[in-house]
Amino acid sequence: MKWSYMDHWRSASPNGPIDQWQTLDSMDRFLKQVAAVGYDAIDTFDHRYFQIMDQYGSVSNYQEFVQERGLERIVNTFHAAVYDPRTYAPHVPETHANILEDFRVTMDRWSGISLDNIIVMPATLYYDMEPVTDDKIKTTAELWNKVGAITLDAGVKLTCHHEFFCGIQSKHELDVFYANTDPALVNLFVDTAQHCIATVDPVDFYEQYADRVTGFHFKDTRHQDLVGDYRRRPDAELMATTTPKWFHEMGDEGGLVDFEAFMRAVVRNGYEGWLSVEHDKANKLGGDHAESTAIARWYAKNVLDRIVAEEGSK
Amino acid sequence: MIEWSYAINQWKPSFDDFTRRRDHERALRVISISGFTGVELTTGTGRWEPLGNPEQLAANFGSVRGFADFVRDAALDRVSSWFYDPLLGFREDLSAPADPADPDAHASVRAHATWFASALADLGGQVLVVRPTASAWQRPQLDDGAIGTIAKCWNDVGRAIAPLGVRLALHFDFLSALRPDDGLERLIAATDTETVGFSVDTGEFVAAGLDPVAFIDRHPHRVAHVQLKNAAAVDDRDEYTRRNAEHHVRKGGGARPVPRWFLELGVAPGLVDAEAVVRALVAHEYDGWVTVESDLSPHPPTSAMLNGWYLQHVLQSIVEEAR
Repeated sequence: MKWSYMDHWRSASPNGPIDQWQTLDSMDRFLKQVAAVGYDAIDTFDHRYFQIMDQYGSVSNYQEFVQERGLERIVNTFHAAVYDPRTYAPHVPETHANILEDFRVTMDRWSGISLDNIIVMPATLYYDMEPVTDDKIKTTAELWNKVGAITLDAGVKLTCHHEFFCGIQSKHELDVFYANTDPALVNLFVDTAQHCIATVDPVDFYEQYADRVTGFHFKDTRHQDLVGDYRRRPDAELMATTTPKWFHEMGDEGGLVDFEAFMRAVVRNGYEGWLSVEHDKANKLGGDHAESTAIARWYAKNVLDRIVAEEGSK
Repeated sequence: MIEWSYAINQWKPSFDDFTRRRDHERALRVISISGFTGVELTTGTGRWEPLGNPEQLAANFGSVRGFADFVRDAALDRVSSWFYDPLLGFREDLSAPADPADPDAHASVRAHATWFASALADLGGQVLVVRPTASAWQRPQLDDGAIGTIAKCWNDVGRAIAPLGVRLALHFDFLSALRPDDGLERLIAATDTETVGFSVDTGEFVAAGLDPVAFIDRHPHRVAHVQLKNAAAVDDRDEYTRRNAEHHVRKGGGARPVPRWFLELGVAPGLVDAEAVVRALVAHEYDGWVTVESDLSPHPPTSAMLNGWYLQHVLQSIVEEAR
């Protein structure tokens, strides 16, 4: 099993908090910290393309910079689109041409390196898709079948990551979506915390769709959304009633995700791809990305590796 | 063989920080996953110093050996060493600060050093690192008589803890009273070569204008411990003589001021050539702990992780090449 780190990061600087993309030095320090604690690779966001071109000259140059610090490569990229029902919304057919062109451009920009997956949130914010109907989900599925063909043509799998606040997040919505997407073109990326918050058991859900899964975000949460925060206006992720901090690193106390059971399922299903760790917004409420990244990797090495060995020997 | 540990002191900048078990667990896990196998403790006193002395370890972990289990649960092998400053008194036994330059304080120093060494033995540790005397502003002149008194104190301690399997390592720092008039070299000459070793703190040496590599080459058989850290500046204005230099100079940065005296290994504009230090240790077949330290770090996890990267990608290859 190889571990990749989804590159959410904040650190202190004399000019206040910064992310790793500020300077080559801040990127150097970020990558060395990730490599030091045993991650094998990173994932990133493809909207970083413009900073990459400005600072490194090309995507492949940036990957070389990553490799020089002891990491293998960039495994996945997250396509964090800014959804808007007027211009860019998977359930709105009139916007599909924009979305398809966006992916043609994106795949061309990232063609200099070999990616495993391009990850998408497959629906808009929940309230922008309400009422969420089976017909809207089927329209959405039609789009992603076409996008999947574009990305596969570029050698990259399209995979869907269901934030708890997106329009496809309940068990019924998920089932309708995967029943209407082509398994050859549209894959699933299981974020353990997001499904847990949405009260969808991540182990059961993964077991049901294991043959469509091309990756994971190993991430924990201390809360489920039991009050409808998923449809909260204007924002559910940072302004929710339930908690100001939904996400915690794997291995922290008080988490709801059963990672041991999840890892047993991963091994049992013969998964052979990369495992990604994510803890976006780890810096909220006094948290710290560097420490969380180390703690999660400690847990993977000292707890989950044993699970892998035990389950693999059965 | 060189073993690598990390000093936990950076996680406790103030007396009311780093008191909860979760904090300790996370710090130990960060140290472990960053590639280190041991942890160095620092002495302290009172209920807000859970890792400060054997009595507090027992109060918080059931026993000293209970703390050893806690360390192993974090995937570290053991406590490597304990840093003891005799100028710190202990509420646990109502003892006053004990200055090794004062003969009347020797019994207290020996008793407390033995207290820590006994606990270290239970923890699997091997080195008691000590501050050999006060700061220069407190004792501006150490004549040969004073050096002799200090040496006698540590000779006695060295003999007392040797049967416990614990080495004594006198730790020089850039505020030390040993800095003027070649005090460090005079103390080396006055102490027992068999039972009194020295700790080479690379950052402190460089901040004091001394060359740690030259020291290792000059006294290879006296090196009983290494604290490896980078230095950002040299105190070339003799600010160490200022009253309360610990506050005004070490933490406050002095008149310039210096934002950070100490940096992570390999980081610009660091002045310590850590590769040369490790090459010197290897050349002299040093067998013991190298404790990487980042005291006064503004961000302890990042310091440990960056130092871990440097250990794994630069320093370990120097050791392996020599095998």
